[in-house]
Amino acid sequence: MEDSQTYIESGILEQYALGLLAPNERAAVEAEAARQPAVAQELASIQLAFEYYADAHARELPTGMRDRVLSKVLAQVALPTPVAAAPVASAGLRADVDALARPQPAPGEAVVRPLAAAPAPAGRSRMALAASVALLLSLAGNGVLYSRWQNADHELVAMQGNQNRLAANTMVVEKKLGEIRQQNEVLRDAEFRFVALAGTPDAPADKARVLFNAKTRRVYVDVQHLPAPPAGRQYQLWALNNGKPVDAGVLTADAAAGERLERMKDIASAQAFAVTLEPVGGSASPTMPIQAMGTI
Amino acid sequence: MRDEAPCLTFTHHLTPPIAAGPYPLSFPVSEIPPISLPTASEEDLVRRLQARDESALTLFYDRYAPALFGVISRIVKADEVAEDVLQEALVKIWNSFPAYDPGKGRLFTWVLNISRNLAIDKIRSRQHRVGTRTQGLDDSLAAQRMPAPDSFRPEHIGLQEIVKTLVPEQRQIIDLLYFGGYTQSEVAEELKLPLGTVKTRARTAIKLLSKLIR
Repeated sequence: MEDSQTYIESGILEQYALGLLAPNERAAVEAEAARQPAVAQELASIQLAFEYYADAHARELPTGMRDRVLSKVLAQVALPTPVAAAPVASAGLRADVDALARPQPAPGEAVVRPLAAAPAPAGRSRMALAASVALLLSLAGNGVLYSRWQNADHELVAMQGNQNRLAANTMVVEKKLGEIRQQNEVLRDAEFRFVALAGTPDAPADKARVLFNAKTRRVYVDVQHLPAPPAGRQYQLWALNNGKPVDAGVLTADAAAGERLERMKDIASAQAFAVTLEPVGGSASPTMPIQAMGTI
Repeated sequence: MRDEAPCLTFTHHLTPPIAAGPYPLSFPVSEIPPISLPTASEEDLVRRLQARDESALTLFYDRYAPALFGVISRIVKADEVAEDVLQEALVKIWNSFPAYDPGKGRLFTWVLNISRNLAIDKIRSRQHRVGTRTQGLDDSLAAQRMPAPDSFRPEHIGLQEIVKTLVPEQRQIIDLLYFGGYTQSEVAEELKLPLGTVKTRARTAIKLLSKLIR
């Protein structure tokens, strides 16, 4: 106990912990620590104190440093280990600097300082290991990127489908809007005269309107109610001018169903309008009884 | 005409843009997420470094770089130089790792010594070029009197504890020994103190420090 206390008080353990001893002195300290638990305990306590001291000086690292340092280190590490540089020929004081990085000799053992850091095969297998690690990382990375790309692709297809539907829809709406705007113009135009066509006694419920602009000769038909035409038949509009029927065109199914105002053939002059059910395509002159009629 | 506008909602989020072109062979370092301390135990780290697992270097960095950089920059006094030394130290730690024996000491002690020695070698070679040795010590003593730079973590209790625990004379000696790379006799010579006094103060200071740990 006396013995170990004197040894501890000598300050050599601090020198050891600070890396200030020559290799033979280091070996002696390690031998002493192996022999006397009190010395080993004291040494561990000193080392822990310095760890604490170092840790207390820990700093926030400058930004970007992590990437810079790690990429350089990983690049250097991937290269085969260079033959260890000969230790700087400094005076005995720092001669053990490199010794720290080497195996600490067990007590009693001769201090052997290898001159080369690693034999060539180790370097090669290190390369192989580095290459394997890089390959695995790359494979994993490719897998991740591939699945991300697949997801993105699916989502892109879905988005494009949506966009197409939206565009088609917009076209439909625009067409409809155009029609409605046109109809609105017609309806608001003071030049148009409204001619109500009333059902004949044969078809009293039938009702339609003709809008006629004598200046522009434009004719529109606006069906309120006409029964659906039987197969092979189509409604046809006639303008009666001086008692003579003039073809004003056939009504499309939409127009006959009252879905929209339909523009008919231009008519120069008329006193009345009438609707008949003609064979599909219409006739040159009415062949069937009048379904509805109205005078201007 | 009856078809209704499909209800369009843009809920599909495209994944973040992916670089086009050939995929990199390996991830850039920045893609490796920083891993917080508790996830890598010292034993795990040692095992992976012994297995020559390069990705362990990233874990090692995240765990030890703040302390190593703190010590190195305290020794070399310039951040750019400290960064170079830290990089050298990491390479040296990697290359010498087969020589590390966990049975003979903790990993932190081992890597601290490697980093300190490289940093001290750096200032030694610089001082050698400049010529005088005293220059370095004067710098070191001047640094001693300066307040801690802002970059020292203000929330770090360790440093405050040390300032509270050690008297300035003790701290000066520890700093010269630890950050200046001086022997006890050199410190005694520089401070014009008997060697015994230096040794006693150093021992007392280290004892006080090890009490802080418990």
